[in-house]
Amino acid sequence: MKNNIVILGGGQAGIYAAREIRQNDSKSNIKILGEENLLPYERPPLSKDFLLDKKKEEDLYFHSSDVLKNENIEFENISINKVDFENKKLFAKNDNVYSYDSLLISTGSENKKLTLDNNLKNDIYYLRNLEEAKKIKEIVSNKNKITIIGGGFIGLEIASSLSQLQKKVIVIEIGNQLMGRIIPKQIADLVQNTHIEHGNEIILNKQIEKITKKNGDYEILLNDNSLIETDFIIVGIGSTPTVKLFENTNLKLDNGIVTNQFCETSIKDVFAAGDVSNFYHPFYERNMRLESYQHAQNHGICAGKNIAGVKTEYTSIPWMWSDQFNLNLQLTGICDEYDEIIKRGNDINNGVIYFFLKNNKIRGACGVGIIGKVGRDIRITSKLTEKDTIVDKQILSDQNLKLNKLIQK
Amino acid sequence: MSEENWIEVGSTDSIEEEDLIRFDHQDKTFCVYKLTDGFYATDGICTHEAVHLEDGLVMDDEIECPMHQGIFNIKSGEALSPPACEDLKTYPVKVDNDKIFIKID
Ligand SMILES: Cc1cc2nc3c(=O)[nH]c(=O)nc-3n(C[C@H](O)[C@H](O)[C@H](O)COP(=O)(O)OP(=O)(O)OC[C@H]3O[C@@H](n4cnc5c(N)ncnc54)[C@H](O)[C@@H]3O)c2cc1C
Ligand code: FES
Repeated sequence: MKNNIVILGGGQAGIYAAREIRQNDSKSNIKILGEENLLPYERPPLSKDFLLDKKKEEDLYFHSSDVLKNENIEFENISINKVDFENKKLFAKNDNVYSYDSLLISTGSENKKLTLDNNLKNDIYYLRNLEEAKKIKEIVSNKNKITIIGGGFIGLEIASSLSQLQKKVIVIEIGNQLMGRIIPKQIADLVQNTHIEHGNEIILNKQIEKITKKNGDYEILLNDNSLIETDFIIVGIGSTPTVKLFENTNLKLDNGIVTNQFCETSIKDVFAAGDVSNFYHPFYERNMRLESYQHAQNHGICAGKNIAGVKTEYTSIPWMWSDQFNLNLQLTGICDEYDEIIKRGNDINNGVIYFFLKNNKIRGACGVGIIGKVGRDIRITSKLTEKDTIVDKQILSDQNLKLNKLIQK
Repeated sequence: MSEENWIEVGSTDSIEEEDLIRFDHQDKTFCVYKLTDGFYATDGICTHEAVHLEDGLVMDDEIECPMHQGIFNIKSGEALSPPACEDLKTYPVKVDNDKIFIKID
């Protein structure tokens, strides 16, 4: 049967879903509606290689327009501002109306905004999309002293890139450690040391009281009355799922769009995937919302299968990475449910990993090391987690013993 | 096929099964693998970013990059999983008297 399948949000989850639907369904119409006037592209390089000029705009696209044409996937640059789930219709600002039989919502997430009492909105920069990355790149080229508000992944990656561009960088974080929400403090401290060694200043436990503009530069007043002078401000204080459009509808929301393990929402024929969805993970037996490249890809693919009628559970073990200076940090599984922590390695040059175990099985792990040094072990950890294996703690804690031994059996 | 193009990498017991070794020759880096059915060779650097694949995970016929989990087929070099999208170059391998040779063009 020929269906009208509409994908709302032309990012990573959206494009992977579209291609997966086509793999399983050669007949239906597939249309992606995206408000960015760009084909779906990779966001991770925006804070890293794109700022460093190691990657250009054309390197970021997942696929060329030819691939979409060959697979008969339509992409329309349009912003949707109203949904009618009852009549299965989407409405755009320009009065266009789109009808669907099945809908995938993959609207991603958006940056939290700093609340300021004065009118400095246009002076403060955020990074989520290519347009913002281009603007930041252009403006910082003639700025020297840059302040980043928020010591999360994106803020720290920008801090690393700008430091490599010979800028003086200050990071102000409200919490008592960097990347606080999901990274163990021991790992965060190793990353912090690397920033400091490269000349970045890291200020923890401080809140912004006020920002004032002075002769084109800025003064930031902190809650301990200290003043920071800076000529450019970037804010990275976390993000929220893009769900405003659905707030007055029947769609069940709770920290994103609530979905089951099949990417199905509370409304029939409406699916959600990627950053925007708070999904049920059958392995961890709980809901979670992830903002990661691997998740956007795999969740998109899983949604695509389910939309095409191939009923598929989403069981992917979470994984994400961050690259800062010559470090590669990786996180797998979940690190907040454990009864035991095991450490592997002591030296960042060979990689340091913390494993989080519950009932002698790994639930998650977080590691950091010079590029290349933790990836293999973290990958093996994901496999061990997925297989729910009771692990030999001696092998886990001794870097001289290969972890491969644990999965070969 | 001239004899000079075959470069000696090492002895066959220098690689464990389902594992790899890094081999540097002139200014290039290669990875040489021992799979269940024999020896294979590819470029030693990921096509996504300049990361050494020597630290990657070999599983069946695949090498997974340690940085962002891009996956390549070791035998064909085909990029199988993003963010890797460009194929990895492969090289012929022969074994002679328990020694591994790769043919570099
Ligand atoms: C700077 C940066 C660096 C990152 N680095 C890493 C990293 O190193 N490692 C990692 O694992 N992850 C990283 N991520 C996270 C990863 O990129 C995201 O998790 C992923 O892009 C999420 O994909 P998505 O499809 O859910 O959403 P997105 O890719 O954000 O796509 C959503 C799209 O929907 C569009 N949209 C929203 N509302 C509407 C509407 N009403 N109408 C039409 N279109 C709409 C948006 O404009 C957007 O284009 C990074 C993210 C950023 C921003
Ligand atoms: S460097 Fe190999 S996948 Fe990115």
